[in-house]
Amino acid sequence: MLTTPRLIVIALCAALNFSIGTIVYLIKLPIYLDSIGTILCALLLASDRKVAFVCAWLAATVSTVISILINPFIPWFALTDMTIALVSAFATSTAVAIFRARPMHAGAFVGRVVLYGVLTGIAAGIVSALIVAYVFGGVTGSGSAAIVAFYLRLGFTVETASLLSGLTIEPIDKTLQVLLAALLYRATPRDFLVMLQAPTPAAEAR
Amino acid sequence: MTPNGAIIFAAIVVVGAMLSGDLAGLAALALFSLAFGAIELRGRTLRALAWSAAIMAPLAAFMAIVWIGVVGRSPAEIAAGVPGTRAAALMHVAVICIRLFLIALVIQLVILRFADMTPLAFTRALRAPVVLKKLIALTLSWIDTILHAVDRSRTALITAGVITPRFSVKNTANGWVLVQTVWLSVITIALGRLRDKWPAENTLARLDEALAAPAPPFRRGDGVWIAAAIAAVAAAKVV
Repeated sequence: MLTTPRLIVIALCAALNFSIGTIVYLIKLPIYLDSIGTILCALLLASDRKVAFVCAWLAATVSTVISILINPFIPWFALTDMTIALVSAFATSTAVAIFRARPMHAGAFVGRVVLYGVLTGIAAGIVSALIVAYVFGGVTGSGSAAIVAFYLRLGFTVETASLLSGLTIEPIDKTLQVLLAALLYRATPRDFLVMLQAPTPAAEAR
Repeated sequence: MTPNGAIIFAAIVVVGAMLSGDLAGLAALALFSLAFGAIELRGRTLRALAWSAAIMAPLAAFMAIVWIGVVGRSPAEIAAGVPGTRAAALMHVAVICIRLFLIALVIQLVILRFADMTPLAFTRALRAPVVLKKLIALTLSWIDTILHAVDRSRTALITAGVITPRFSVKNTANGWVLVQTVWLSVITIALGRLRDKWPAENTLARLDEALAAPAPPFRRGDGVWIAAAIAAVAAAKVV
């Protein structure tokens, strides 16, 4: 399952998660963009869904472990990472043919990006809500604090406010991430995708 | 102390901080962590304190604005449906902030404790499957490659007039070109390394060899600090 090219792609996607996530965290944007690598990993290995899930999850886990150096609170969201890997491998990756179609069918492309972005966002929002409520008291260091404040001001409990905030922000954030991952996947050279396929016994014998 | 002992020590303190629900318990754990820093790190403890304060400052500011400024009552008061007070909101913010500060501090103390080790040496000393250690080493290498690719691509696109060095509408429109350029640049490097460079230099086999070395055994210092951490967590629950 973990061939050398796949190990390379896991590390590459983990590095992508880390690099983009760190920049967003440091400049306090109200979005996260820290799972592009996880989604991209699932797309790159879409030919085998189980492999795609394991590799995407590993990419998310490794980037989380390394992110401790910059942000000690990221490991709390390990379960969210697993959820994103799961949705990306078993749902988003079903659209790889549409994401790579040449010429691009704009309607189908945008439709799939929005569908899977919202799906990933809802799943991630639900899983993250409890972590945000109990570990962070409803407020994390990102710009989404303003949305939590809005719901708390309306009289919702911290758990409900965190859930509603997650369901407000996450679908937008994850749609953007699925869009970026799909565009990067589209731009990836065919040679690289061929290299990621599991080696056949004949090739190994050579 | 060994890296594995330090990781277990940090995990115990983090769990203790999560279990501790009041200021007294958290203060006890903070004092214990500072004692660890004073003995194991000496002067570098101040750096860990400064880093933890810097990482917590924006989070504390957000929490204070939301809970004390905007909401004006604690979560318990909201759940009970009573009007509540800003003092209760302040107490809630204080407990969460001190807990998160403590978590950041203990993690930073452990990182600084091994600051003299290279990332590869630290990874090598971990008690973890070789494949995971290999992934960590490769990821650290790719992070460097990506950051170099960002620098190179940004300079090239600025020179070509596609993006500008400062914030502009052009950057918003063409920012995607930068992301795509970086990705293609990194993929090209990956292909080159996998096909030619690494096989020629036998890089991956050498990495396997380096990471397969057995982790150093636990030392007496590990046992002492882990036992002390368990005692401190128990004391924090009693306080």
